[in-house]
Amino acid sequence: MIPAMYLASLGAILFCIGLMGVFTNKNGIIVLMCIEIMLNAVNLNFVAGALHYGDVTGWVFAAIAIAIAAAEVAVGLAIFLSLYSSRESIVLDEVMLLRH
Amino acid sequence: MSDNKTSEMRFLPIIGLCMLFPFLRMFGGEMANGAPFTALESAFLIPLIPIVIFPVIAILGQVNRGDEAWRDRFKEGGMIALCSLAITLSLTIWLAIEFFTNGASFEEPLRQSVFNWINFDTITQDAAGNWIHLQSDSLGVGLWIDNVSMMLLFVASFLCFLICWFSIGYMNTDPINKDRNHRFYAEFVLFTAGMLGMVLADSFLWLFIFWEIMGLCSYLLIGFYYERPSAAYAAKKAFLTTRVGDIFLLIGLLMMYDIYGSLEFAVIFDDPSLHGAVDTGMLRCALIMLFIGAVGKSAQFPLHVWLPDAMEGPTPVSALIHAATMVNAGLYLVARFVPFFDVTSHGHGVEGLGDVAILIAWVGGITAFMAAIIAFVQNDIKKVLAYSTMSQLAYIFTGLGVALWFYNHGEHHAAVIAFGASMFHLFNHAMAKGMLFMASGSVIHEMHHAHHDAHHDDHGDEFDAQDMRNMGGLASKLPITSTAMAIGSASIIGIPLIGGFWSKEGIVAETWNAAALHGGTWLLVPAFLILLTAGMTGFYMTRMWMMTFAGKPKTEYAENVHEQTPWIPTPLITLSIISLLGGFVLAVLGATHWLGEAEALGTAIHEHGMVVAILDAIVHAFLPTEMFLFLITWVAITISLVVGPAMAMRIHGGRLNSGETAPRLISWILPLSSKFGRVNVDDLANSGLADALHRRLYFDELYEWVIAKTVIPLAHALSWFDKNVVDGAIKGIEFGTQKISRDVRNLTTGSASDYIMVAVIGTFSILVLLWGVI
Repeated sequence: MIPAMYLASLGAILFCIGLMGVFTNKNGIIVLMCIEIMLNAVNLNFVAGALHYGDVTGWVFAAIAIAIAAAEVAVGLAIFLSLYSSRESIVLDEVMLLRH
Repeated sequence: MSDNKTSEMRFLPIIGLCMLFPFLRMFGGEMANGAPFTALESAFLIPLIPIVIFPVIAILGQVNRGDEAWRDRFKEGGMIALCSLAITLSLTIWLAIEFFTNGASFEEPLRQSVFNWINFDTITQDAAGNWIHLQSDSLGVGLWIDNVSMMLLFVASFLCFLICWFSIGYMNTDPINKDRNHRFYAEFVLFTAGMLGMVLADSFLWLFIFWEIMGLCSYLLIGFYYERPSAAYAAKKAFLTTRVGDIFLLIGLLMMYDIYGSLEFAVIFDDPSLHGAVDTGMLRCALIMLFIGAVGKSAQFPLHVWLPDAMEGPTPVSALIHAATMVNAGLYLVARFVPFFDVTSHGHGVEGLGDVAILIAWVGGITAFMAAIIAFVQNDIKKVLAYSTMSQLAYIFTGLGVALWFYNHGEHHAAVIAFGASMFHLFNHAMAKGMLFMASGSVIHEMHHAHHDAHHDDHGDEFDAQDMRNMGGLASKLPITSTAMAIGSASIIGIPLIGGFWSKEGIVAETWNAAALHGGTWLLVPAFLILLTAGMTGFYMTRMWMMTFAGKPKTEYAENVHEQTPWIPTPLITLSIISLLGGFVLAVLGATHWLGEAEALGTAIHEHGMVVAILDAIVHAFLPTEMFLFLITWVAITISLVVGPAMAMRIHGGRLNSGETAPRLISWILPLSSKFGRVNVDDLANSGLADALHRRLYFDELYEWVIAKTVIPLAHALSWFDKNVVDGAIKGIEFGTQKISRDVRNLTTGSASDYIMVAVIGTFSILVLLWGVI
C-alpha cells in the first residue's frame, strides 16, 4: 500500500506545477488546463487524507470537486469563446480592461 | 402727455383704496372676532409689508420684463411699490392718531412685543465642576414707539410714499432705465422696510440689523447705474466708509451688552442700577463707539466723504436715502443716548459724560462749517444739496450734543428745548431737503429732455444736465419746480417764519446758551461755527437757486425746457405746503416741547387760546428774554436772511429774459436780485482756496494717502502670506497626494496573472503569519 505521504507530496508537486503554469502562460486555454491540474492536485490530497484516516468524507469531497471542476471548465471555455469572438484572441495580457 | 396725465388719475382710486387698509383691518377684525384691532397691534405690519413686497416686485419684474402691460399698467413695479407704501403710510397715520388720542400713554412709550426670536440660557461651571444655570435670555422682536420714533416714523413713511410717487415720473420716463426699474423699486421698498424697522425697533440689536439693511440698499441704489465706473466707485466708497462706522457701532453694541446684559431699550433705559453701578469709563467708551457709527451713517466729519459721491445714484434715491431718511438714522441713534446722560430728577443717567456731549457738538460744528464752505463752489446742483445735507445734519448733531450736555449738567429745561429743537430740525430738514432733491431731479430731468429733444441722441456730446453752469433763467419755464425750490431753500436757510427757522433758531440759541451762559466754554467753538454757518447757508442756497433759475439761460437747451413730466409736480406741491407752513404750525402746537419732553401737542393752545399761543411762539423765537440770546438770535437772522443771500444775489442774480414771467409767489425775488448789482468774482474763483474747496479740502486725497500707506502694504503682505504660506501648505498636500496616488496606480497592471501572483503571495503571507500565531 502506498503511504499517504507520497500521495500528498505528489499532490503538492502537481499544485506547484499548475501554479507555475498559471503564472507563466499567456494563453487562456493553457491557463485553464493548469487550473485543472491544481484542482486535481487538491483532489489527490483529499483522497490521500481519506486513505490515511480511513474516512469516506475525503472521497465524497473529491467526487464533488470533480463535478464542480467540470462545470467550471464549461464556464471558463464559454468565456474564452465569447472573448475570442469579440477580440479574436485569448491572450490574457491583452485583456486589461480593469486597468484605469 | 395727456395719456400720462390720465394714467396718474386712473391710479388714484387704487392708491386711495390702499389707504383704507387700516380700516378694512379694523372692521374686518371686528366682524371676525368681535374685537377690533388696534393700531398698535397692526404696527408690526409697517415694516413687514415692504419686506414682503420686496421679493414680489423683484420676481415679478424679472418674469414680466419687457411686457407691455407690466411697463404701462404696473410702471415696472412702481405701482405695486406705491400701493404698499400707501398702506404703510396709512397704518402710520392710524398709529399716530392712536398715539395722540391715547394721551395717557405719553409718559411711557408704547410697547408691543411681537414674538421671541431666539431663546438661550447662559450656563457656567461652578467650583465643583458642575454646570449651573445662570440666566435665561431671549432676543425678542418688539416695537418701541415714543414721540421721537413716532415723528421719524411719520417722516420716513410719508417721504417714502411721496418719493416713490415722484420716482414713477422720474424713473419710468427715462429711456436709460427701461426694463430695469423693477430693481429700483424692489430695492426702494426694501430700504423703506429697513428705515421703518429701525425706527420701530425696541432694541439696539434690531436697530443695528435694520441699519445694515439700509446700508445695503444704499449701496445697491447708488450703484444702480453700475455700468458707469463712477457710480460703481461711489457705491463702493459709500459702502466701505459707512462700514468703518458700522464696525465701531458693533463694538459699541457689544460693550453695551457687556455693561447691561441686554440690548433692549426697555432694560437699558429703565435699569435703576444705572446710577453709579455702571463703570463710567466703559460707558463713555461704548457711547463714543456708537457715536462713530452714527457719524459714518450721517456723513459727518471725518467720515463724510461718501455722501457727495453718493449723488451718482438716481435722484429719487438721493432725495430719499441720502437726504431725508437714512442719514437721519445716525441722529436717531444719538437721540437715543438721552437716558444715559439724563442726571436730572427725571432720569437716572450717569454723571461725567459731558465730554462725550462736547465731542458730539464739536463734530457737528466742524462738519456744519466745512460742508457749507465746500458747498460754496460746487457747480453740480445735487452736490450743493448733498453738502447742504451734511451741514444741516451737523446742526442737528450740534443741537443733540448741547442737549446731552445740558442733561448731563442737570439743566432739564434747557436740555428739553435743545433736544426738541434738534428733533424738530430733523423733521423740517427732511421735508425740505426731500423736496429740494425732488425739485433738482425735476430740473435735471427736464434739462435732459430738452437736450434729448434737441439732438435725438444722447451719446453725441458731453452734456452735464446736472451742471448749474448750463442752466439759468429756468424760473419762467419750470414754475412749480422753481417755487418749490425757493420755499425749500428758504426753509433750509431759516428765513423767519418758514420751516426750518423755528428749529434752527432754537439750536443756535441753545448752543450759545450753553456756551456763554452756562459755562460750557468748550462749546464756544461749535456755537461760533454754527452761527457762521447760518449765514453761509444763506449764501450757498441762494447761489444755487440763482444759478439755476435766475438770469438769462446759459445754454440753448435751458431755453427749451418745459415742465411736462407727470407724477413729478404732486409731491413737490405737497411738500412745499408742508415746508412753508409746517414749521409754523408745529411751532405753535409746541413741537419742541412734544419732542423734548413728550408734552402733549397743542397744550399751549389748549391753555391759553390760539392767539396767545401764536404770539408766544413768535416772541420765543424773536425776542428771547436774555439780552445775550436776543443779540445772537438777531445776528443769526441778519446774516442768514440778509448778508448771505445778498452776497449770492450780487454774484449770481439777474432778471429773466424780457417777456418771461416767473410764478407770482417768487416773481419778486428776481428784480430784487438784480438790484444788488454784480460783482466779478473770477479772481476769487481761481484762487487757491477755491481750488482747495473744489477738491473738497483734500479729504479724499488724505484718505487715499493714508490707505496707500497703511492698508495697501498690509494687503500686499497678507496677499504674499496667503499665496506662499497658506496656499503653499494646501498645494503641498495636493501635490503629495497626487504623487502617492500616481505611484500606487502603477501597481495595477491590468494583467490577470499579476493579480493571481499577488493573491498567492498574500495567501502565503497569511499562512505564514497564522503559523506564527498557532
